[in-house]
Amino acid sequence: MALPLPPGLNHAEVAFLAEMEMVTVVPRQRLESIDLLSGKTPPLRPPHRAELPLWLALLLKKQRRANIVPPPWLHPSSLTSIIHRETKEDPITFSPPPPPPAHANPHSPGTARRLHEEANLSSPFLPSCTASAPAGYLPYHWLEVAEALLTHAGDDMPAAAGDVRSLLRDLVEVRAAKMRSSTSALEGFGGGLMSLRGVGAMELAESRGFVLGVVDGVRKIGASAEAARREEEEMGGGGGEESDEDMGI
Amino acid sequence: MSYYDIDSILTDAEKIPCTFQLEIPELGYLDNQPGQPLKAGSKIALPLWLAEMLAIANTGGDDQAKSFVTFDLPAALSNEVVQALKADPRAVPLRDQSPHLYGLATHMMDLSEEQELGVVLRKTFVTRASEIALHARKVGGTGHNKGTADEGSNLGVGGAGEEFLRGLEEWERKLFRKAHDGAKAGKEWMENVKKR
Repeated sequence: MALPLPPGLNHAEVAFLAEMEMVTVVPRQRLESIDLLSGKTPPLRPPHRAELPLWLALLLKKQRRANIVPPPWLHPSSLTSIIHRETKEDPITFSPPPPPPAHANPHSPGTARRLHEEANLSSPFLPSCTASAPAGYLPYHWLEVAEALLTHAGDDMPAAAGDVRSLLRDLVEVRAAKMRSSTSALEGFGGGLMSLRGVGAMELAESRGFVLGVVDGVRKIGASAEAARREEEEMGGGGGEESDEDMGI
Repeated sequence: MSYYDIDSILTDAEKIPCTFQLEIPELGYLDNQPGQPLKAGSKIALPLWLAEMLAIANTGGDDQAKSFVTFDLPAALSNEVVQALKADPRAVPLRDQSPHLYGLATHMMDLSEEQELGVVLRKTFVTRASEIALHARKVGGTGHNKGTADEGSNLGVGGAGEEFLRGLEEWERKLFRKAHDGAKAGKEWMENVKKR
């Protein structure tokens, strides 16, 4: 008997993982460095900003020991531009994930290079929710972090939390509709592909069952045609090899 | 597909029209003529598993090997249905044709080459899938309005699109279930964030 759990992470697990994201805080009190499993936190010296994991930042926020600086992409203007891009400019694909942090050389303009070029940076190791994150791009954990910040640090938002929240709801709806319609890309014979680039963790958790179901169904429907095609190819391939051998002789 | 997969068993029990190629004694009762031999060429609907066996097995006689039966596509996959699906996949209640239409179709495609059927079914499945997801999300109220506590329950199926949802066949029902579970879990999480 298999585990009754569906494959993949559920919402609570995704939200838990999102708490590992680094956010920028403005401390109100001094706090010495804490020795955590993932390394030492920077010592907090008001009013200097520091980067802490989201869970710790939320804890300090609840104790009124720090204010959280919301990431730039959570600003209403950034959200509005993302919604505009998702609906008007590119109504099919999702908006791209944030680019890897780049390093511009002020002495030779136009030659910006990636920081840490050799390292292949991805979600948890990219500082995508700090104050230095680029605006206009949604990071992997956008929905979870945004919800957590709106709920627990609503007074730190650059605009009224309600406005941000309604923009966020619009974005969720737009992207959910995209997720639904993106399955129609599987219609083409054999070459059906769904691009999930730029889709957030929470959206994946929500749509995983559905998307996998559709892909599996398409696979089952096409299974016999695929088997026939393979057989044909094998026959053709075998013939080709034979002729090659003939040529060799 | 596991041995105990109830859907697979039910799919195998679907009747498909077969034509007997040989005269078989004492089987006339299948054709409402008890006590008489079953004539060659008589058409009888047999369950898929039996038809498959009889069609593949040959009689093994000295003369040229001939299978017991030949089968046609069942009514659920007839040309009329395929044409209707081509016209508008959403308008056809697949469940009325057969509750296991896709399973039946894939089985039939394994047995005989049906290129066009495969293409039409793929289009149907994909087109209906996005419609299913839409309904699955709608069910139980949208995220905007604050309703009663049991808003996210599975009992909320109904309202608009009821007609379409009634026409879903088993594969699609499973898909609906998955899509709905995902949307429901998302909504529950969204509401729980505020409580913590």
